[in-house]
Order: sequence, then C-alpha cells, then structure tokens
Amino acid sequence: MSEKVKEEKAYRVLESHNFLQRVMFRYMLEGHAASEEGKLAWVTSGFPVEIPVAMDVGVSYPEQYGAIVGSEKAGPKLCEYAEELGYSQELCSYARASIGSVKHPEESPLEGLPAPQALLACNNICGTVLRWYDAISQMTGAPVFLLDTPPLEGEQMPHHIAYVRHGLDNLVSFLSKQFGTTLEEDKFRKVTDLSTETIGIWTQCLEACKNKPSPLNCADRFLAMAPVVAIRGRDYTLEYYQTLLNEVNDRVANGLGAIRDEKVRLLWDNIPPWFRVFRIMGSLAKRGVVFPADTYTHAWTGSIKGEDRMDSIASMYSNVYLNKGLEAKVDKMCNLIKNYDLDGFVMFSVRSCKRYSLGQLVSKELVSERTGVPGVVIEGDMVDSRLQNDAQIETRLDALLEMLL
Amino acid sequence: MGIGLDLGSTTTKGVLVDESGKVIAAHLVLTGAIASKASENVLEELIKLSQLDLEDVSTVSTGYGRTQVKFAHESITEITCHSVGVHTLNPSIKLLIDVGGQDSKVIRIGSNGRPTDFELNDKCSAGTGRFLEVMARVLEVSIDELGPLALKSKSPCPISSTCTVFAESEVIGRIGSGEGPANIAAGVHQAMAAKISTLSRRVGAASPIGVTGGVARNPAFRHYLSAALNCELWMPEEPQLTGALGAAILAIARASDTE
Repeated sequence: MSEKVKEEKAYRVLESHNFLQRVMFRYMLEGHAASEEGKLAWVTSGFPVEIPVAMDVGVSYPEQYGAIVGSEKAGPKLCEYAEELGYSQELCSYARASIGSVKHPEESPLEGLPAPQALLACNNICGTVLRWYDAISQMTGAPVFLLDTPPLEGEQMPHHIAYVRHGLDNLVSFLSKQFGTTLEEDKFRKVTDLSTETIGIWTQCLEACKNKPSPLNCADRFLAMAPVVAIRGRDYTLEYYQTLLNEVNDRVANGLGAIRDEKVRLLWDNIPPWFRVFRIMGSLAKRGVVFPADTYTHAWTGSIKGEDRMDSIASMYSNVYLNKGLEAKVDKMCNLIKNYDLDGFVMFSVRSCKRYSLGQLVSKELVSERTGVPGVVIEGDMVDSRLQNDAQIETRLDALLEMLL
Repeated sequence: MGIGLDLGSTTTKGVLVDESGKVIAAHLVLTGAIASKASENVLEELIKLSQLDLEDVSTVSTGYGRTQVKFAHESITEITCHSVGVHTLNPSIKLLIDVGGQDSKVIRIGSNGRPTDFELNDKCSAGTGRFLEVMARVLEVSIDELGPLALKSKSPCPISSTCTVFAESEVIGRIGSGEGPANIAAGVHQAMAAKISTLSRRVGAASPIGVTGGVARNPAFRHYLSAALNCELWMPEEPQLTGALGAAILAIARASDTE
C-alpha cells in the first residue's frame, strides 16, 4: 500500500538525497570543530574557497545558513532581531537573518553558525556582503577580509585580472597571519583539481536536464547545489556528485523525469523563496510543470585550470553571473531557454536581493522578444516571508500557465 | 449555457450566458467577509433573474476568491477571463487596463482573445480602487462622488507619493495648507493615472486600449488616464462584469470540450 502511495506522488524523490544530508551534516560538524580550534572563516557564496581550504582553514557559509533559516520558517523572527538593532527591512534578508542569529543563537536553527575567527567577503555577488560582514565583525570580533572583484562589462581585461590577482595574494597573507598557515603549492593544486572536477560533474548533472523529461527539477537542484557552493575542493563532495550524476544518468536512460507527467518546461530566475519553494514546485509538478534550468544553480560553473591557478581563480571568480552586466544576464537566460528547450520563464523578484533582482523588468521584455516565449515576474523574498503575498504569486503563475497549456 | 463568477476583493460578479454568448442574467454584490457566501448569493440571484434551473450548468470561477467557489467546474485567473470577456465585446481591443479593488492589471490581448503578456501592480495598493477609497474618505466624499469632484478642478495639485499611506498623509498636508478638495481629488487621479500608464508602457502600449473594472466607472480616472496615455479609451457598458463574462464564455467552451 505504501509503495502505491509513493508511486502516485507527482514528484520523484532522489535516492542520493540521503547522501546529501550526510555530506551537509559532516560539513556542519567540521565547521564546529574548526571553530573550536580557532580556525573557522565565514565566507560569501562567491568566495574563492579553494584558498582557505588549501590552507586548512575551515569554512561556513552565512548565505547558506540564510537558506536554512528560510526553510525552517525562522526568517521573520531573526530578521526582526536585526531590525530591532536598527537595520532596515530593505536590507538583504540573508544579512538580517545572519545578524539576528548572532544576536540570538539560542532562538536560531542549529543554534546559529559556529563562531568565526575571520570573515571573508567577495563582492562578486553584491556590495552588501562587506557591510554585513562588518556588522558581524563588530559583534564577534573576527576581522574582515574583502576580495574586491570590480563588476565586468564584456571581456575581462588583463589589468582587471591583475588587480583581482593582487587581492588573492593579499588573501594568502591575511590567512597566513590570522591562522599561522601557509599555502603549499601541491595541496593548492590538489584542492583546485578537486574543485574543478566537482564543478564539472555538477555541470553534467545540470546539462542532463536538457533531456525530456528533465531528470531534475528546480527544487532538486536548489538542494543538491549546497555542497558545490559550500564544500568545493573536498573529496567527499566529489563522491556525492558522482553518486548524483549516476542517479541522474539512470533517470535519463530509463526515461524517468523529476516529475511524473512533464507538460511544460520553464526557466526559474533568481534565488528561491526558501520558506515556500517546495510547496510552489510541488503544486506546479502536479500540473505537469518542471523547471529544467534556472540561473541560480547555473551560477556555480566554471573551472580552475592551467599552470597559474591564481590567475585562473581571478578570472573564474570575476566572471560569475552576478558580477556581469544586464546584457550577460539576458544572454544567459536566452541561452538556457534555447538549449533546454523551455516554454517560458518565471522571474522571482526578491525584495531584499537588489543585486539579483535589478533590471528584471527590462530583461523580461528582452528575453521574451529574443526567444519568443512568455515570462512572468513574481514578487517575494528568499527568507523574509513577511515580504511575500502567496495569492498574488499564484494568480501570476496560473495566468502564465493558462497562456501555455 | 455557461456561468461565470468573478470573486473580486470588493465585489462578486456573476454572469449567465446562452450558447451564443448572449447575456441572459448578471448580478453584482459586495464580497464581504465570506467569499463562498457571496458566490452562492450571486448564483441564487442568477436563478431568480433567469427563472431557469441552473444546476449542472458549466461554471467557471475567477478572481482572488476563485478557489472558494465549490460549485465551479474550473477556476481560471482573472487575467485570462478579462481578456476573453473584453475580446467578446470588442475584438479590436489590443490592450486592456483593468483596475479593481486591490490590483490593477494591464493585459495584452492576442488575436484569439487570449492574453499574450500581462503585468500586475506590485504589492502596494497605489493604483488600485483601494487607493481611491482611502482618498475619498479623507476628502469626505463617497467613492462615486470623487471622480465628478476631481473633474471640477482647473488646477490639479500634484500628489507625489505613490504609496497609499504616504499619499494619504500628503493629502492631509494639502488640506492643512488650504488647498481645495477638487484640486486635491484631481491630483489623486493624476497620480494614479501616472502609475497605471507606467505599468501599461511596461507591457507595451498598443491601441486600441480598453478599460474595465470598478475604477473604470470613475470619469476622472478615465480622463486622466487617457491624457497620460495620450489616446482614447474604450469602456464597455458594464466594466465590472467583463471578468465574469469571460469566465462564462470559457465555461461554454469548457462544456463543449468535455462533451
């Protein structure tokens, strides 16, 4: 009986999900151990983590913690703690959740992140991270290091690479001084090789979604992306992605989709509303809607290669999705729609993530014009559910589907 | 026959049409606190007006309360229903501006009467009927008197805030500084027209343009919107019923599909 009920669900659960949970649990334990040893750095999602990892510095990701806060529906409470300290509701809700959890760890999921001894911010994803980490620094006493990656319009010029490269050299000096470690070339190569291989396998998992039916839905990727964001450059991360890829390939070989009855294929743009994403995706799955591609999980691609790994890192981390102009974003969306054969797109306008959401109205028009497929902008937030109106989202999504079905 | 029920935030509308799409009966009530109750009241009234047995007649619900109508066979968004309703009445309309109690929609209508693109106002209530209700209260006139009052103005006073709450404070400030109610009312309509014309341009203003929804009945709103968009606006005789009409037309289509 239970088998039958399982079979009738619109959504197929990934078997490798258990492995993912173990990987994330281990990552969390390692974070606590590193913190106790006085060797933990908090890092932003677009930080070249290979360098601290190669220097035996543990890492924890406040943005990922923000996603946990959102999923646990603790966003409003923790954001309000930050607002009580005087931070505006317009500020990034990852930042507010993080500040709130440092203020009140006893009321935070997992009792907050382990205490940091350094804060490593890279502004390739936004400028807010620096001020956010400054605030955390005031609260915890951990020093902040900023890796500055000026925004790119078009090709990256040699002087741009040289500038970022200089920042990376400073990072090595900062970590050496702060943690008393050195960067050994052999270990650095090993970590960057592992990182590149991991990203390569992750990219294969993403690209497998070009198949019909798509083996993964948006929500699967939002979960499965956690290690490639947080634990690049580790052997057990690679092992997880190999397992995931095997499962994905099996699904493709057997014609099994992430959802049972795929009718409409859409693109998702932006960070998801973590407190509601599974409900939204689940109810759309029942109506045959799958998201074979999204701009968010596709942001962790690229590779560190060649003789000079530092130059390669400087290039890869400057060229991330959010560090480029609107034209590059529009190109990316159009390419995903074309290459994944998508019928339309959903742009989630995240109230508190200005960097990602800026320009969406213009890009919606351009993407529709270039691809000929319709799109819709829905509004809400990644963590702060007070900024979201479900009825409005539902009406907009329903109207888009009525245009497609 | 087909029944369309449009459960809006302020009013609930019902339309009964025959197979040719001709309206047999129509009714409108305030939605009130219980949406399902309003839909039942409207249905009862349609039965009385038509003197027909409407049991088993194909029914489509629309509007924010669309899922609350237990006897509807299908629920379809107001975006599609308004588009179909307006296309039925005037197939030449390419762009529809519908302003209701809690939202404003701009819909581009394709040649088959279905929407090809749309935009809704953001979560803020500026640019909706609620905005005008708040301003009418401050100016101590009924919502029906607000438009005619505004049209008496020779010199509208600018209202710069786009947020309803801030605009209310701004209006109170204008009253305090001695500005006349007609000029303030005109400024309020101008601000609203500016907001909605921006939304229209986002979809790509294509004429002819139609206006529907409860707010379309307000002559000052049409006057200032027409000026902001620099074109004539078409309005159906019953601008509040187009969503329900579209739903009723879709109910007929649905019934013939399932036969």
